[in-house]
Amino acid sequence: MAANEEAMKYVWEGAIPLQIHLHKSEVASHPAPPPALVLAPRIGYLPLLVPLIKPYFKDSLPPGEDSIWFDYKGVPLKWYIPTGVLFDLLCAEPERPWNLTIHFRGYPSNVLIPCEGEDSAKWNFVNSLKEAAYIINGNCKNVMNMSQSDQEDLWTSVMNGDLDAYTRLLPKLKMGNIEDEFSRKESLSSPVSRQGGGTEIDVAGQVKTARIPVRLYVRSVSQNFENLEDVPEIDTWDEISYMNRPVEFLKEKGKCFTLRDAIESLLPEYSGDRAQTSGEEEADGSQETRGEIKLVRIQGIELKLEIPFSWVVNNLMNPEFYLHISVLVIGPQR
Amino acid sequence: MSQEEKAMEAIKDALRALRKRHLLEEGAHGPAISALSKPMISQGSEWKEKTEKLEIELQQCYKAQSRLSDQLVIEVAESRTSKASLQDKELLINDLEKDLSQTREECTRLQEELEEKTKTLDLLITENKEVRSQLEEMTNRAQKAESENKMLIDRWMLQKMQDAERLNEANALYEEMLAKLKANGLENLARQQVDGIVRRNEDGTDHFVESTIPSTCGHRIHAHEGGCGSILFQYNSRTLFTGGQAGPVKMWDTNSGSLIKSLNGSLGNILDLAITHDNKSLIAASSSNNLFVWDVNSGRVRHTLTGHTDKVCAVDVSKFSSRHVVSAAYDRTIKLWDLQKGYCTNTVLFTSNCNAICLSIDGLTVFSGHMDGNLRLWDIQTGKLLSEVAGHSSAITSVSLSRNGNMILTSGRDNVHNVFDTRTLEICGTLRASGNRLASNWSRSCISPDDEYVAAGSADGTVHVWSISKGSIVSTLKEQTSPILCCSWSGIGKPLASADKNGYVCTWT
Repeated sequence: MAANEEAMKYVWEGAIPLQIHLHKSEVASHPAPPPALVLAPRIGYLPLLVPLIKPYFKDSLPPGEDSIWFDYKGVPLKWYIPTGVLFDLLCAEPERPWNLTIHFRGYPSNVLIPCEGEDSAKWNFVNSLKEAAYIINGNCKNVMNMSQSDQEDLWTSVMNGDLDAYTRLLPKLKMGNIEDEFSRKESLSSPVSRQGGGTEIDVAGQVKTARIPVRLYVRSVSQNFENLEDVPEIDTWDEISYMNRPVEFLKEKGKCFTLRDAIESLLPEYSGDRAQTSGEEEADGSQETRGEIKLVRIQGIELKLEIPFSWVVNNLMNPEFYLHISVLVIGPQR
Repeated sequence: MSQEEKAMEAIKDALRALRKRHLLEEGAHGPAISALSKPMISQGSEWKEKTEKLEIELQQCYKAQSRLSDQLVIEVAESRTSKASLQDKELLINDLEKDLSQTREECTRLQEELEEKTKTLDLLITENKEVRSQLEEMTNRAQKAESENKMLIDRWMLQKMQDAERLNEANALYEEMLAKLKANGLENLARQQVDGIVRRNEDGTDHFVESTIPSTCGHRIHAHEGGCGSILFQYNSRTLFTGGQAGPVKMWDTNSGSLIKSLNGSLGNILDLAITHDNKSLIAASSSNNLFVWDVNSGRVRHTLTGHTDKVCAVDVSKFSSRHVVSAAYDRTIKLWDLQKGYCTNTVLFTSNCNAICLSIDGLTVFSGHMDGNLRLWDIQTGKLLSEVAGHSSAITSVSLSRNGNMILTSGRDNVHNVFDTRTLEICGTLRASGNRLASNWSRSCISPDDEYVAAGSADGTVHVWSISKGSIVSTLKEQTSPILCCSWSGIGKPLASADKNGYVCTWT
């Protein structure tokens, strides 16, 4: 199997086991319903899981209208963040199955934006797509020009996790490509040019520089830790800072733009430290007041930072052409 | 390691990490969760099915609802129209009720009328019934009366028949007696003639009186207006009957010349008079086709003899029986009447009209003088012609018998007066006068009672008197100016009376 196809397959097939508990305040039946076990697609969103979960709990619900929201350890989960990203972000040590609590009442409007179920998720997806198109192409004409049925089909393929359908629909989207010699069929094939990166077929016309849409989630922990198990539980979203900043993909001669370069461009304050390989963390000792990037997770895996960014982008991006990066740092909370 | 190699290594590493993740996450938990969620899914699908079913039901319900609402619209519209029609019907009902009440009133009124009518009808029916019963009663009574009447009539007829039988018997007896008497009478007469002695026998004989030759006029009586056609003296008296154009027959006393009586009841012109021997009945021949018979004493008409179809111009009554009347009329008949029976017993027809008629003394022979100038003799009983004699060349106007019955005087329009012998029918004498002209077909002449003289009137108003034996005029009486129609000599010899066309009657003595 080709490397990029394999990677995309894994990305699309990725699913997190969730154990959904009904919040005890909403248990209206005796005995209390058992938790629901669902597999949540990584690239999907929490509101899409409601039809699967609701049957488990509907008999137990108190009377009233439903306004569904999830929380993890008391923290209401933002629904517009893909499920995989939430998992990577909030669970330092992957908790499998991930225990979430579902609420049907008492929507925390001060914390979460309203959600109307699948439709909200769909619009969120399309908007993100437009944003990505704008970043990549300079305009979102390609999304706008897409017919409504095609948009529906695109969203349906995302909802259903149908990579084939998505791949068929991609040409209609006419999103600009990110030239990546590393994503060709032969994993060891030599790159055409050492220049790497750089789009030559930019739709918008920018030849030399590519802009990659990136959403960066930074969780800062105050205390250093040795093992991931020791990472304290998250309390509030205040611990997490969110950056929606494109990465300028510079084509440099003789140099390959790595992930490290990307992160450094995004988080210059942490660029002094060079986190090593994924998985094991190295206690490097805090140097100054500068934070230390302890963990970089994309699509649930920790990557070697030497990995070419273009490969990362082309293989690990979400269906809406955004690359979601979760970072755990030690440093002062912002 | 070159950067490239590092890169490749990193990529491989990444892939490995992805695989591992897969194993840890979906690889490990997927099957279990799917196994667990199958019931849920199936439940979910159940729910889906239920939902679908419910949706279908709901759709059907909607359809049904729409149908029902359509129906409802229709029904509402229909109900509106029904209401409208109902209102109309109500109005109609009101009108009909009014009509009905009116009709009821009319009906009661009519009923009342009907009752009244029925009542009246009942009343009428009862009345009718009563009237009918009355009618029945009346009819019964009438029937009874009829039957009684019939019975009575039958009885009466029976009585009458019995009377008639008795009468017949009596008549038969009487006739027998009369016959006997006649026989006796004839014997006596014969004796008288021979003897010349007047004997007074039974009734029916006459006095013999010598008659004087009249010369002076006694009375001049205006008897009738328009002419006096017939005069006659009562037997053996001076009473004179006169009959004229119109009015009654008058009875005069020639002594005084005054009217004794008037006999009323006659119609038409009196053409001839005859009186019964007992002076009780006077018969007049009238131009009204009838003969009138008076009872002289009472002056009332006893019989009106009808049967002639033309004017009756001559009449005579039998001296013997006073019962047989013979009349001649211009219907060319001579009728024989029975005064007792009151009707015609015999009728004789002939060709020539009879102007004058006279019965013989015995009453068995009729002498008739005719227009053809012949004198005929008839048998009274058989009505057969016995003989005829040509007496005159023109019409005979008068036939009168002498008192002794032997001579008969006939006067004709040829102004000749012949005297015949009744037995031989030979002319005994012919009397003429130069100035004597008979005035009419019924100018009557007469013989004096002593059978000696003949008096006849003339058209110039003179009366001539002849003597039979001498055959010449012995007297000429001039007094009247108009033509003399009739002369009559009283049975006692005088006076002689003459009547003229102006109705004057003169008496001569």
